[in-house]
Amino acid sequence: MVWLRIMRTLRALPKWQLAVLVMFFGWIFLTIFGPYLAPFPTEVAEPTTRLLPPSGTYPFGTDENGIDIFSRVLAAPRTDVVIGVVATALSVVIGTPLGVIVALYESRGGAGSTAFAETFMRLLEVIQSFPVFVFAMVLVAVFGGSVTNIIIAIAFVNTPVFVRIVRSDVLSLVQRPFAEAARAVGNREVRIGFRHVLPNALPTVIVQVSVTVGFAILLTAGLSFVGAGVKPPTPELGAMIASGAKYLEIGQWWAAFFPGIALGLIVFSFGIFGEIMTQVMEPRAVRRETDRRREHALETGGDEPEVPDAPTVTLSHMSEPVLAVEHLGVAAVDSRQALLSEIHLALEAGHSMGIVGESGSGKSVLVKALLQLLPPELAVTSGSVRYLDHDLLTMNKGAMRAMRTTQIAAILPNAKSQLNPLTSVGDMLRSALQAHEKISAKQAEVRSIQLLEMVGIVDPAQRLSAFPHELSGGMAQRVCLAMALMYRPKLLIADEPTAGLDVTIQRQVLDLTRTLAEDAGTARLLITGDLGIAAHYCDTVAVMQAGRIVEIDETERLFDTPRHPYTQHLLDCVRV
Amino acid sequence: MRLALYIGRRFLFLIPQVFLISFITFVLVRLLPGDPARLSLGPLAPESSVEALRAKMYLDRPIPEQYVIWLENAFQGDLGESWVNNTEVIDDLVHRIPVTLELIFLSLLVVFLVLVPLAIITASRTRNWIVRVFQNLTFGYGMLAGALPDFLLGLVLIFFLFAGAAGLMPAEILPGPEGRLGILDFEPPFVTGSILIDSLIAGDMEIFWSGFMHLIMPVFTLAFVYGAPIFKMLRSQMEGALKADYTTYAEAVGLAPRIVLTRAARVAAGPTLVITGVVVMFLLGGAVLVERVFNYVGLGQYAINGIVTADYAPIQGFVCFAAIFTMLVYLAVDLIHFAMDPRIKIGGTQG
Repeated sequence: MVWLRIMRTLRALPKWQLAVLVMFFGWIFLTIFGPYLAPFPTEVAEPTTRLLPPSGTYPFGTDENGIDIFSRVLAAPRTDVVIGVVATALSVVIGTPLGVIVALYESRGGAGSTAFAETFMRLLEVIQSFPVFVFAMVLVAVFGGSVTNIIIAIAFVNTPVFVRIVRSDVLSLVQRPFAEAARAVGNREVRIGFRHVLPNALPTVIVQVSVTVGFAILLTAGLSFVGAGVKPPTPELGAMIASGAKYLEIGQWWAAFFPGIALGLIVFSFGIFGEIMTQVMEPRAVRRETDRRREHALETGGDEPEVPDAPTVTLSHMSEPVLAVEHLGVAAVDSRQALLSEIHLALEAGHSMGIVGESGSGKSVLVKALLQLLPPELAVTSGSVRYLDHDLLTMNKGAMRAMRTTQIAAILPNAKSQLNPLTSVGDMLRSALQAHEKISAKQAEVRSIQLLEMVGIVDPAQRLSAFPHELSGGMAQRVCLAMALMYRPKLLIADEPTAGLDVTIQRQVLDLTRTLAEDAGTARLLITGDLGIAAHYCDTVAVMQAGRIVEIDETERLFDTPRHPYTQHLLDCVRV
Repeated sequence: MRLALYIGRRFLFLIPQVFLISFITFVLVRLLPGDPARLSLGPLAPESSVEALRAKMYLDRPIPEQYVIWLENAFQGDLGESWVNNTEVIDDLVHRIPVTLELIFLSLLVVFLVLVPLAIITASRTRNWIVRVFQNLTFGYGMLAGALPDFLLGLVLIFFLFAGAAGLMPAEILPGPEGRLGILDFEPPFVTGSILIDSLIAGDMEIFWSGFMHLIMPVFTLAFVYGAPIFKMLRSQMEGALKADYTTYAEAVGLAPRIVLTRAARVAAGPTLVITGVVVMFLLGGAVLVERVFNYVGLGQYAINGIVTADYAPIQGFVCFAAIFTMLVYLAVDLIHFAMDPRIKIGGTQG
């Protein structure tokens, strides 16, 4: 399972990351075998060969003590990488159980355990408020600069990070059903924490480990660089850079240059390794790409959508349409895969049309295409979208913007996520009003209150200062409805306006929408996955499958005598 | 009201935290090897005078008592005396803190003037060639900045600009990479401690220019290395916000592009602010290294000297300052974040 995921991640990696991965294992190799590969002794001064420039014998030159720099660079990972890895391992071993225990205490509730957890976290905050580098420096100074002490100091400053991430992960995981299940079966709290919850928190820990190792190596080198870490003559990159730095300005660059490059490459390859680990551990990051491909394939029904020719009905009695769509096609920019093809629609003033189809049939793409809001990955490939006598596809953006809300209004699915979490209802309404007319903030407020009243929100003046997270789904939907109908637009495009609401609220919102829209003479395009809603609220219904409209007819006729097999299939699903 | 409650609660925790910081520092520093009385008088001083000095420095008392004495003195602005330089620590700090704060502040300024706009441009969803050029540039930056240790970047700069005859920097502009001013320049009279402000107050443009030129390399180094986390966080947050439903909806409503952008940016600002607080703490550590590389006489150099010579009082003063400074930065960040984001609850401990 894990191997499969690793293989899949590796295959998806860009070439340069694979190269870096190879380099990463190269450094691991040097960490283990480096000191044995060094052609010259690494700690014995040789006064006769001081500061020789790079040559055949000394490929990286020699340092101020006459020691071959190449040999020292080969041997140095043994110091730097080992300190980084061991220190990180130590912080994990101490930090992880601590994090679990704190989280378990905290989730148990009760004044005592909350107080304990809060005190503990504030204590951690104190420890973390000592600047990491300075703190490590003082620790090394206090306990002496042996490798063991450096490891302890670095482990100490990194431990709180692990306590924190494990705690917050476990805190959210103990609420999950699987933990509840383990509890119901009669496991003890501690056992649940360590046996059931912790394994699920491990991915985050592993990602953090790969970040921390690189950081710990940097810290080691930094400490040694200022003389508060590993002491010469032990081969260590930071100390080597420090001893070479003195000669930089007088042109003897190699003594600092090669250890510097080595340090940079080590930290870099550890960093990239960390990113690769993140991708392995968080499958979402990788899957996103393949999923998207699969979705596209679904939406288009494969390369060759097998849709029988649609017995489309031209509605003959149509007068001047508000919205007329002809031959509309939309495709992905990169893969050129078609998402919509040959869409024909015509919507008369004051009428309502439903568009139904299962999820993935391209309904939302159609909405975005009609509203000129396609994401940059998608583009219109053919056809036209006409609103009255405007061609929306060729219209400039400013003119289109002026028509939004005033003439063409939109309601998009899941109202709560459509409202910016940091913008209050009042600000949202005011900015929408001020985008289309010159009115003062005071006037806008009065209008906003009227609008909220119109959509049946109780106590509208109070609601102006509310933020989206304080609204219920139905309330948020009403706010969106107020925004959509504030200028009595000629066309309303509503995409799944009641998704996520419970049934009684659905009815209220849809009824209200119909009443207000009919009152304003607004033509409606209602996109829904619910055939019942379409049957009840729409004059005509179009059925979409795999990016095409397969049947379009007056509602009653379509439900009584469906002619396309797919329509028949959809109806069967409902009637069973 | 909500804000007042939050501030009150945070301050309630701040006071014991500050005491704890001072106590931990005190104990740690007392653990440093070497007897300060002996170190102060030198190896040849007779044992009796060392004993006398120990008594005078309260070193013969138990540690809790020493701590109380130190605390009493600290409240009166007396942080002790460096035995190496025989200077008052409080005076040293007053002169050194502004130097390092100037470095940190200017680095952040560069990050905000250069990297923040870049992050916003490269997060853009439109893919014209300008955006693409910037995206490629910053891709390289993101990789480099994560791997390049601050002191190494400083050394690379010194090498390319000043190494021997091949150095790119003309001597008339900046003769050497080290120090706060040229060898022949006089420091402006001390007012704030910031070389730029003080030289302006003194009306000495020549010193201002010299100080400015000497600041460029350390500030560039710090901004380059420590701006990376801010840059990456802002870009990914901004990408998320621009893709979010509420941005599409704001466009569908017909809001002006400027408003759509600022509202998305406001959502992206929260996490970026939090990471900036953490970066400021790391900048303090980074300043230690960068000051060392450029021989820039600030707080970091002071701390290194203190540690290398086992000088109690300066280390204590420095570590205490650093920790309290960090606590205050975190506090400020939390307060701004709290004021910005109505979703944060008053009671919650953050993860």
